[in-house]
Amino acid sequence: MTNKQLPLIEKYRVKRLEDIKGQDLAIQDIKTFFKAFPRKKALILNGPAGTGKTSVTIALAKELNLELFELNASDLRNRAKLEEILKPATLQSSLFNKGKIILMDEADGITASDRGGLPELIAVIEKTHFPIIITANDIWQQKFSLLRQKCQLVNLKELKDSTILEILKSVLQKENKTIKLETIQTIAKKSRGDVRSALNDLEAALSVGEDEFISELYEREKEESIFNLLKVVFQAPTDKKIIDIYNSTEMQIDEIMLWVEENIPKEYSGKALYKAFESLSKADVFKGRIYRQQYWRFLVYQNFLLSAGISSATKLKSNKFTQYLRPSRILKIWMSNQKNAKKKSIIEKYSQQTHMSKKKAQKYNFFLPLILNNTNIQKQLDIDEKEQEYIQEKAGAIIVSAGLNRFREN
Amino acid sequence: MEENSNIWTEKYRPKKFEEVVGQEDIIKKVINLTKSLNIPHMLFAGPAGTGKSTLALIVVKELYGIHWKENYLELNASDERGIDIVRQKVKDFARTKPLGNTPFKVIFLDEADALTREAQQALRRTMENFTSTCRFILSCNYSSKILDPIQSRCVVFRFKMLEKKDIEKRIKIIAERENLQIDPKTIEALYEDSEGDCRRVINLLQAAASISPTISEELINTLISAAKPGDIKIVLEYALSGDFLKAKEKLLEVMLKESVAGTDIIKSIQKEIWNLQIDNELKVKLTEKTGEIEFRMVEGSDEFIQLQALLASFVMAGRGM
Repeated sequence: MTNKQLPLIEKYRVKRLEDIKGQDLAIQDIKTFFKAFPRKKALILNGPAGTGKTSVTIALAKELNLELFELNASDLRNRAKLEEILKPATLQSSLFNKGKIILMDEADGITASDRGGLPELIAVIEKTHFPIIITANDIWQQKFSLLRQKCQLVNLKELKDSTILEILKSVLQKENKTIKLETIQTIAKKSRGDVRSALNDLEAALSVGEDEFISELYEREKEESIFNLLKVVFQAPTDKKIIDIYNSTEMQIDEIMLWVEENIPKEYSGKALYKAFESLSKADVFKGRIYRQQYWRFLVYQNFLLSAGISSATKLKSNKFTQYLRPSRILKIWMSNQKNAKKKSIIEKYSQQTHMSKKKAQKYNFFLPLILNNTNIQKQLDIDEKEQEYIQEKAGAIIVSAGLNRFREN
Repeated sequence: MEENSNIWTEKYRPKKFEEVVGQEDIIKKVINLTKSLNIPHMLFAGPAGTGKSTLALIVVKELYGIHWKENYLELNASDERGIDIVRQKVKDFARTKPLGNTPFKVIFLDEADALTREAQQALRRTMENFTSTCRFILSCNYSSKILDPIQSRCVVFRFKMLEKKDIEKRIKIIAERENLQIDPKTIEALYEDSEGDCRRVINLLQAAASISPTISEELINTLISAAKPGDIKIVLEYALSGDFLKAKEKLLEVMLKESVAGTDIIKSIQKEIWNLQIDNELKVKLTEKTGEIEFRMVEGSDEFIQLQALLASFVMAGRGM
């Protein structure tokens, strides 16, 4: 693979410690750890995604001329596996007799399915001849308490927007590309201190075109925010905070209502389903009253029913991950309207000559194709060729599905 | 044009007072009013297909003879969006003088009960402003939905549901002129289905005649049952079995495919409840709930949300709750 095809995030992974931005304090601490080794045998790099934990380790290995032995989340890390792979690595010298660093990447990923993985890791730390670096997003979880005692802890902070902006600019320069300042500012801001996601977004912006990217980014954010809203409404305990939940969003309440409607059945069943729909139904009644009477205080009740009402449908809150669906009804209605365009125009022509409203004429939907499947009537109504085809097709379908042919006389 | 229409509801629409079936008392009064060449504003209230539009048309034809089209404006409250358009059309129409001897024109506002309260308030002013040049005939299904001040400006006529003999008479005339074979039992079946709505009977008859000139009872019944949104039963059965998502999907399909209005769906649901295999007490509860949901819909809520809420009640009922 040539350099060109590498994703930006790999292509520009920092090679030297001094190139790492925004983590000066942490780097200081890490250097101290290595000087003092083996007073503490392992080092935990704790920090949010994309703050440079892995990059720091790689750069460090290079700088100290150490071989890097890496195990990450994609490897199975149960007791047997660690014993088989990690243990020998910590005891034997490396191939070229260099020193080495053992990197236990993404320790959060050691899960219940990695049976005995953590205790084995601790055992390995006690015996290792080489420094071990463990990276984690949240080392303060209960399951890591023993591990924490055995290790020195260094925290990496989220990068500042300005630091990320600087990184993005330098990458753009090396890539010989230009992009609107506004766009990279948006990317930097949106990354919330995560360099990796910022670089990935930059790559996306370069490949799909920035305008498209920005609007997509906006959609993604909107979706993220509605997902979070729905999770709170459906799964958090019903308390006072819930009532105000829709105040913090820029989304239209009507749109939120559609999302809630679509996803109630994904979260609730039985009695809870019933209660939630009852609340939604009443919220909708208030919505109608607001529109008709322009009395906006009803909004309070609408929002209450849509938040606390839905939330209180059950006391047994689930904590499962729900893949919320985007509202499909409006789209379906729109598509069906497209399909029904001919039917509509026919009904319009028919209603004009029969002293009826279109709405009333619609009631004869079923009989109309049969009645109108007649050349004289079609001439009279000024039915065009396409409409005629539609009528014929419809009438045929009705005759077949209702079994009307048997009434026909030969 | 309508005089030689091929659409039977128009072809057989009565052209003279004496051709109208039923509503004898109303006809007598309206004849007298028309003869005086000075009709008041009128409100025709009554069920669908009982002759309201027909009578309005006869009145203008009597008043204006061959010039009736120039002196007559037909507006439909449920099709015209907003009172502003109604007002504009009324203004444009009333601006010019009537043709002929009659000193005013006639505006027929059909389905006036579809107007909101605000629109009716506005209409009240419009009626007053144009009294010198225009007379209004309003039609509605329920006079209770028309504001009192409007009712008090009109002579109110209450149309009755057509009786069996009235409908029978109409069917026989059509059968004779169109060379249809039809027996008394079939006429009975047509009447049973009609709920006194003559338009429905004639449309059903013409649809049947498009299949065969021999209108058998079986043909009529086959058409009637095929015309019902039959899938409603399946929707309810899904809901009772606890499969809300399937029920909802099917409901949307029924509503969109045949563009059935929510209020028609709920009518079918209400009729279907007694045929369900559930406890009678639950049937009562569900019917009450259906009524409540229909009320919310009529009040102007989102049909689909309300129907889903109703389906959720059926899910509960399926669990015996």
